[in-house]
Amino acid sequence: MLNKRIVAIYVDKTNQQWIARDAEGKLWLIPVAEDAWKQRVPFTPTEKTELEPVPGHYKSLLGLPF
Amino acid sequence: MTAERNRLDAIRTQNVSWKLWGPYLSERQWGTVREDYSEGGDAWNYFTHDQARSRAYRWGEDGLAGLSDDQQRMCFALALWNGKDPILKERLFGLTNSESNHGEDVKEYYFYLDSTPTHSYLKFLYKYPQAAFPYEDLVKTNSHRGRHEFEYELLDTGVFDEDRYFDVFVEYAKAGPEDILMEIRVHNRGPEPAEIHLLPTLWFRNQWSWHGNADRPGLRDVSSSVGCAVEADEAKLGRYRLSCAGEPALLFTENETNTQRIFGVENRTSYVKDSINDYIVQGVGHAINPARCGTKVAACYRLMVPPGAAEVVRLRLARIDSPDEGNGRLAEPFGPEFDELFQARRKEADDFYRELTPRTLNDDEANVMRQALAGMLWSKQFYHYDVDKWLEERGSDPFKPIRKAAPRNEHWHHMYNGDVISMPDKWEYPWYAAWDLAFHVLALTLVDTDFGKQQLKLMLRERYLHPNGQIPAYEWNFGDVNPPVHAWSTIFTYRLDKAQGGEGDREWLKSCFQKLLLNFTWWVNRKDRFGKNVFEGGFLGLDNIGVFDRSAPLPTGGHLEQADGTAWMALYCQNMLEIASELAMTDPDYVDMSLKFVEHFLWIASSLGHLGDDTGMWDEEDGFFYDVLRLPDGRSQRLKVRSMVGLLPLCAATTFEGKLLRKYPEMGERLNWFLASRPELSQAIHDPAQPGHRGRRLGAILDEQRLRRVLTKMLDENEFLSEYGIRSLSRFHADHPYVMHVDGQEYRVTYLPAESDSGMFGGNSNWRGPIWMPVNGLIIRALLQYFSYYGDTFQIECPTGSGRMMNLFEVAREISRRLSRIFLKDEQGRRPVYGGSRKFQEDPHWRDCVLFYEYFHGDNGAGLGASHQTGWTGIIARLLHLFATLHPSDILNDGTSAYAEAHFHAPKVDIPTTPEPHSPSIT
Repeated sequence: MLNKRIVAIYVDKTNQQWIARDAEGKLWLIPVAEDAWKQRVPFTPTEKTELEPVPGHYKSLLGLPF
Repeated sequence: MTAERNRLDAIRTQNVSWKLWGPYLSERQWGTVREDYSEGGDAWNYFTHDQARSRAYRWGEDGLAGLSDDQQRMCFALALWNGKDPILKERLFGLTNSESNHGEDVKEYYFYLDSTPTHSYLKFLYKYPQAAFPYEDLVKTNSHRGRHEFEYELLDTGVFDEDRYFDVFVEYAKAGPEDILMEIRVHNRGPEPAEIHLLPTLWFRNQWSWHGNADRPGLRDVSSSVGCAVEADEAKLGRYRLSCAGEPALLFTENETNTQRIFGVENRTSYVKDSINDYIVQGVGHAINPARCGTKVAACYRLMVPPGAAEVVRLRLARIDSPDEGNGRLAEPFGPEFDELFQARRKEADDFYRELTPRTLNDDEANVMRQALAGMLWSKQFYHYDVDKWLEERGSDPFKPIRKAAPRNEHWHHMYNGDVISMPDKWEYPWYAAWDLAFHVLALTLVDTDFGKQQLKLMLRERYLHPNGQIPAYEWNFGDVNPPVHAWSTIFTYRLDKAQGGEGDREWLKSCFQKLLLNFTWWVNRKDRFGKNVFEGGFLGLDNIGVFDRSAPLPTGGHLEQADGTAWMALYCQNMLEIASELAMTDPDYVDMSLKFVEHFLWIASSLGHLGDDTGMWDEEDGFFYDVLRLPDGRSQRLKVRSMVGLLPLCAATTFEGKLLRKYPEMGERLNWFLASRPELSQAIHDPAQPGHRGRRLGAILDEQRLRRVLTKMLDENEFLSEYGIRSLSRFHADHPYVMHVDGQEYRVTYLPAESDSGMFGGNSNWRGPIWMPVNGLIIRALLQYFSYYGDTFQIECPTGSGRMMNLFEVAREISRRLSRIFLKDEQGRRPVYGGSRKFQEDPHWRDCVLFYEYFHGDNGAGLGASHQTGWTGIIARLLHLFATLHPSDILNDGTSAYAEAHFHAPKVDIPTTPEPHSPSIT
């Protein structure tokens, strides 16, 4: 169970993509792109979704604003 | 004055940055607490050796025989490939804590052959097998071995058979503070020609990825008809040029995580940290940036080395926007000046050590001393850890109401470390350890007093010392408790500095004292449970020495009154008294502090020597000190394990010359009143009012009778005294294990002269028999203190039962002699430190390269534990120096501070250069 309100970054192991959780607890798919945050799309995990935490210092690398 | 001394002076007096560049690169950044962002704090398995080539580090860099600047913005190190390995040899390989039968251990052969304190000259040797490195074999075979078996070492794999390996010598010589000459010489020791790829590598520590607006540094190819070169540009460091002799291929990439390999997510750039590896080893042509720029570059030299021959590669890293530019050096980086400078720096290193080395040391002793100091100097490392940031990055910001719990260090969010620090071992312990560091300084001050002072002060700075006064222990748990030896190292260093300069640095001493006061008070408030001057402290650096894990709740309930913890505090009082007394000679404000520490010492010492009808730590029947177990129901018992714990009270001994009492007679009156009012305090300890040799006073827990009883055990070869020093546990327990049963479970302490047989404290160290250099050093210190007080009239049999009588100076010297024997060649030319290893004992390319292990076999002196813990084992250099320069009459006449004088005024002698002759270069 994800702990809401803590911003965090994950790898979606199933689909090999970055996922971010914002301060409101919303999950976003972050594409590999220069303006990644602008191109984010909402992400809804399924039962098969396996999210692996990624260290917080990757936020700049992924272009996250928080 | 030698050229190297001039450089040290220039740093001090003119702020010349001779130490800007040094061997500050770690040998292992993976598997550290800093890089660990796992939920449960499993540092070893979170960031592995296998990931290290592909994953950018957050906090620091590692490499082989490497250099960096003192903020580790830019790094230089060597990578190698023998054409058979599955990966480039970019960093040293070793087993993690869980992979090995005796905890983490590096499985490589490398040697710190030489260094000057400014690193104006450095020499390193790495032995690289020509066959594929047996990574899997090492992991698999060790994993199948039990705790009672030896470790499976690299030599055991057969990969060095027939001498099919390269000796790779890396030397650095500074033309100026920012102009570094490099020479890499590769010898083929095997019987056939062998090919090697040499890849000297320059890169930037990745800071740009972790900070939103950080400047991104850059490397680019600036080769021209003049030669092959790379220009490096970093905002704070400036512009540098790496010139590469010959015509190597330049391979550019970025020091960025290969997210595809590590996380399974597409890379943002094609050029990532392991691109050079993929290009060389797997032949992935497009892995390298064709634009010939990036943040990581290797110059690839492909060499075929005939058997018995050597090939040499030269490089030069120099700042190009400094005043040095334009003097012709960079226009011709490898001209005749290159050879001349190298020869000059080698000679200057020889001159420096010639001046330092006492005349009475023979060639082998001088070699051991020099390599010990080289190891100390190579073990400097840029250590970077912003705990607050680290906690935030793992979602554990302690000031946020909703957060994840951090596995460690939550209460140390004030800490910001970003400094060059002396490490215990840059592979096995690539993090500072507070009490280790205090011992390191004892050896480092042989060559660089200023660095020793800076290191001691650093641990007391607000970015390190906890606001509550605790000195950080080490990154695995900054809140652990290490023995308080900082004050001892401080007064020792002050006296050396004073002897060197003629005047002590009182401001430095004063500032250290203020912070040490905070730390002393922390101890008193936190570790004296009932305010009875009896201290706890947990394992106190002695890992598995107790019958129970002393840092964990006791299986019996209740608590331990620790003989070592209490003795450490008695010594701490004495050292604080020494400092306060020194300061009081010019500042009367410190008189009260002096008196405070006299009284505090007496309170603590009397608690240790307690005679009453309660169970005290002194056991009159055995003539020894033990920890006391206090049970919840009020019962007590001594835990009768004869160990270093019981010898430490002997170490709390310090003589005083009486200068302070002569200057401030009123202090004497107050002290006499105190002693008269509290006669019970001095009943069970040495009488502090009793004058000794030359009227000296002695602060000691043990009176003469008890001292003799403890020494009789310590000097008994069937108990503590081995051929190679004082054991951590008495050999008595080989036949008489100490056994306790609690709730049906057996707890047992048996004499184990080699490795630990349990996983307590990670299972990679053992205090149940082996010889440890730092506590031996403390014992020697104490014996010299007793000698200065009792003089020649105190004689004792050494070894016990031998019929040989010695005074305590002779006993100290005898212990030092035995410790030195660990490293020195015996009559058969064998060094006990290398045990039964024929290669190390007999091969001329191995036998004079000395390793300074973490601890040593209690019976045969073989090296155990971390193989490059020159750290506190480097104290051997201090001991060799001390007994070669100090005459017993010096101590009798001038007291124990006589050594500080002897340090700088001892006669010196010609000594040999480092083991490998400086043969002409092959270009």
